[in-house]
Amino acid sequence: MARQVSQVDVFRAVADPTRRAMLDILRASEQPVLALAVDFDMTLPAISQHLKVLRQAGLVSERREGRQRLYSLQPEPLRTVFDWLSHYEEFWNSRMKRLGNHLRETP
Amino acid sequence: MSTELRVEEIYPYARERVWRALTNSRAMADWLMPNNFEPRVGHQFEMRTKPAPGFDGIVRCEVTTLEPPSRLAFTWCGGGNETLVTFTLESVEQGTRLVLVHSGFSGLKGWMVSKILGSGWRSKILHVYLPAAIGRINETGYTPATPEDQLTCAKDSTALDVKR
Repeated sequence: MARQVSQVDVFRAVADPTRRAMLDILRASEQPVLALAVDFDMTLPAISQHLKVLRQAGLVSERREGRQRLYSLQPEPLRTVFDWLSHYEEFWNSRMKRLGNHLRETP
Repeated sequence: MSTELRVEEIYPYARERVWRALTNSRAMADWLMPNNFEPRVGHQFEMRTKPAPGFDGIVRCEVTTLEPPSRLAFTWCGGGNETLVTFTLESVEQGTRLVLVHSGFSGLKGWMVSKILGSGWRSKILHVYLPAAIGRINETGYTPATPEDQLTCAKDSTALDVKR
């Protein structure tokens, strides 16, 4: 995964429900593109397009085995997504706690 | 579809006391951030926090609701698009229930908030994809982590889509 991954790509990639479902399936095991096509009842070019977006976001990797292309999940970029939300949540949780401290110390 | 972040806390004090801490600039500096808040609808103020790459550390706000001692709301623009912060106070047996709602996330951020907070996707990220990430979260306050945060303030921005 030498490609420099843009964070925007990751957000964009997981914004689509089909691609999230693909990540779910790839979480279980590596899959050939044909198997994914069956799961989603989509044309091969449509599946390939989704996989391309996921690949560009660094969320899946591709390898060839004979005539097959196999895809597997690379979850690391999802950290960006997780961190973003965590910052917000953590921020407000900690401030609400601090408000509690403030109230206790200020009559 | 919910696109809001919600935090609730019960404080063992009277509602008026909690309200004072919410609407006094010095008190806010103590528990929230340094600021030049004034309790007046339409008042524009700023809050300051640690700058981060692409973020000058200034959150720009405007008071939109002031209903003592039950409701305070102000807009929130921290480098990204404009959102809304609302505090609601309710007297309960144990004291005062304070509900914070941070809402108005648009575009992909809105999706993020609704999907991640509202579905099993969140726990998947937590427990399946990123077990290592738990515990890594430190007390950094509000630190924008995405390029979207670094764009200029614009109401109803679909900044991410425009950017590409």
